[in-house]
Amino acid sequence: MESTNILIKKAKIVDPNSPFNQQVVDVWISNDQIVKIGKNLKVKADEIIDLKNIHLSPGWFDLRANFCDPGHEEREDLESGIHAAIFGGFTAVALSPDTYPSINGKAQIEYVYQKAEDFPVNVLPMGNISKNLEGKELSEMYDMFQAGAVGFSEAKNSLNNAALLKLALLYGKEFAPAPHIFCNESNLAKNGQMHEGVTSTTLGLKGIPALAEEISLLRNLHLAKYCECPLHIMGVASKEAVKILKQAQKDKITHSADVAWCNLLFTDKTTQNYDANYKVLPPLRSESDRKALVKAVINGHIKAITSDHSPVDIENKLCEFEQAQFGMIGLEAMFGALGLLREEGLTLEKIIECISINPRNILNLPVASISEGSWAELTLFDPDLEWAFEKEHIQSKSKNTPLIGQKLKGRALGIINKGMLVLMPT
Amino acid sequence: MSELSVNHLLGIKDLSRSDIELIFNTADQFKDVINRPIKKVPSLRDITIVNLFFENSTRTRLSFELAEKRLSADTLNFSASSSSVKKGETLIDTVNNILSMKVDMVVMRHPNPGAAEFLSRNVDSTIINAGDGAHEHPTQALLDAYSIREKHKNLEGKKVVIVGDILHSRVALSNIFCLQKLGAEVQVCGPTTLIPKYIKGLGVAVSHSLEESLAWCDVANMLRVQHERQELQYFPSIREYSQQYGITMNHLERLDKEITIMHPGPINRGVEISSEVADSDYSIILNQVENGVAIRMAVLYLLASKNKMNFKD
Repeated sequence: MESTNILIKKAKIVDPNSPFNQQVVDVWISNDQIVKIGKNLKVKADEIIDLKNIHLSPGWFDLRANFCDPGHEEREDLESGIHAAIFGGFTAVALSPDTYPSINGKAQIEYVYQKAEDFPVNVLPMGNISKNLEGKELSEMYDMFQAGAVGFSEAKNSLNNAALLKLALLYGKEFAPAPHIFCNESNLAKNGQMHEGVTSTTLGLKGIPALAEEISLLRNLHLAKYCECPLHIMGVASKEAVKILKQAQKDKITHSADVAWCNLLFTDKTTQNYDANYKVLPPLRSESDRKALVKAVINGHIKAITSDHSPVDIENKLCEFEQAQFGMIGLEAMFGALGLLREEGLTLEKIIECISINPRNILNLPVASISEGSWAELTLFDPDLEWAFEKEHIQSKSKNTPLIGQKLKGRALGIINKGMLVLMPT
Repeated sequence: MSELSVNHLLGIKDLSRSDIELIFNTADQFKDVINRPIKKVPSLRDITIVNLFFENSTRTRLSFELAEKRLSADTLNFSASSSSVKKGETLIDTVNNILSMKVDMVVMRHPNPGAAEFLSRNVDSTIINAGDGAHEHPTQALLDAYSIREKHKNLEGKKVVIVGDILHSRVALSNIFCLQKLGAEVQVCGPTTLIPKYIKGLGVAVSHSLEESLAWCDVANMLRVQHERQELQYFPSIREYSQQYGITMNHLERLDKEITIMHPGPINRGVEISSEVADSDYSIILNQVENGVAIRMAVLYLLASKNKMNFKD
């Protein structure tokens, strides 16, 4: 894995911040740094990478994954989660704070950093907004930020207490990036199992109305406006929510938003035979919602695409739909799944922005560009490789994905980070 | 010999019109049987059927059990209160344990929508859905349609209104699918809070006036108010509900035609239906109950035939 002197031959650069964007060049990396970029570089390297159709972009960054560690190590732990990230081409992952116990203080932040230290993926914990995710009082945000929390969220709990969100926005304003808020009015969404629509009606399942998302979104944007604080919206899922975001932009309410890859690919029709692998939060909504989300990514109203990697063990998926837990794993297959959307107008460049550059901007983190002198945090990939995703590709301890056996387009070939190189056999 | 297109009865959704007609024609013969002095036939002798009830039920369970006994099947009853479910056993494990004791068919009632379909995909047995949450209750819909057919000969073009708590009702959903497959027009009627927002997507009309619905229909199916399924208070009081949606003789006498009144039971007298109406000639409530046994016999018999259980060498 350790390789300090690497030459990548004939790589196409996909990086809007690089002077070499869209060019096919050789890249020489030594001691954790990009030393030289150019055509036909003649350098002595320990490792020469010469792969067909190789592309290079700033290392991919997942804005939201749950590694269930501590608490549910039978589903995932930091190590298996990291391997899933590597397979998917990610050099950095922001961890959702809803572990058990949840990420409440300095000690938990330090635990994550210590455990992930020797791996080539930067595992970056987010902290809780409220103590124990109870929605009652603020957690020690400043202390956690000092210890390395990259941001704050309440995971997928609705912050019903508007006064508490107001405090969190104001309190974090001076030191933390915009808090990540999941919009889901919990009384309207109560006991909901899937998107409310004709399909949920036909299945007799209680629906999660898009209204629950929209009402909460409107409220949260108003709070952000009042506090003059930026806000990040997690997991946009409905067409109307996209409309609200557009209006918020016009009204100059500073915000950003992300969408989970599965909401870009699937609709509520997938649950027709009660396949709990499609039970996710936010729920998969209608085809018109899905199309609006894809368009919002293309137009830049949604800035980031996340894996929303949520491992669930088979015992909690192979059961009655109402008993099944929400969640789908996503790290390993996300890029290949997004490749399927290229025929809907989602360009490769846009995908790379949404999974590499924008997520770092959302968290106010520096973005490595592919230029001489920059530090080397890179993803190597083939965007056109068509391959079938199989169970053996899954590195996660949990296999809760409906993609097994599906054809995907595009695959990570390897990552370079922290002076380490990992190449994936394809 | 014609047979069903399905291997399980999970919902009306999966049945074709000819499946439904086959069930009705078979039920006709079983109805004759249960009206004879000797009410029993040997059709399912040596077949063991478990009635798995994860939710309270009296009449559906009795009706199934009777249907099984009239067909000479061996029956086994299992209810959730005495089960291992509360000890954390999965549904698949529970059923596989029972099946290991050489049980051939499973009749299941379960509080979760889709539980029967889930089970059919994960165990090796014939599954009959006796109600799964707010999803389907196929044998109820079959016996309801059968009872309408008995009274009105044909369902084609008939206008049927389903009145009451549509939001929490598996009976409503199965009835909608069944009646539509047989060519009837369906309307649902009830308080706005108990009508699903997207119900029109199933091709039914929506009304909020009992008077208007009764004037429109040939058949009114009055559903029971399901307090146990309501996690919220969907209407302020029973009194108000029955003022607006409780059917009385007054309603029926004002009509210029005679309509048929149905109810899947158990009835709340004085709430959704007055005693006079329930006991009147308009009502076919007790015929429904009788037909329930014949319909369930037909379903059990046809599924056993389809899965070649009763044709042993």
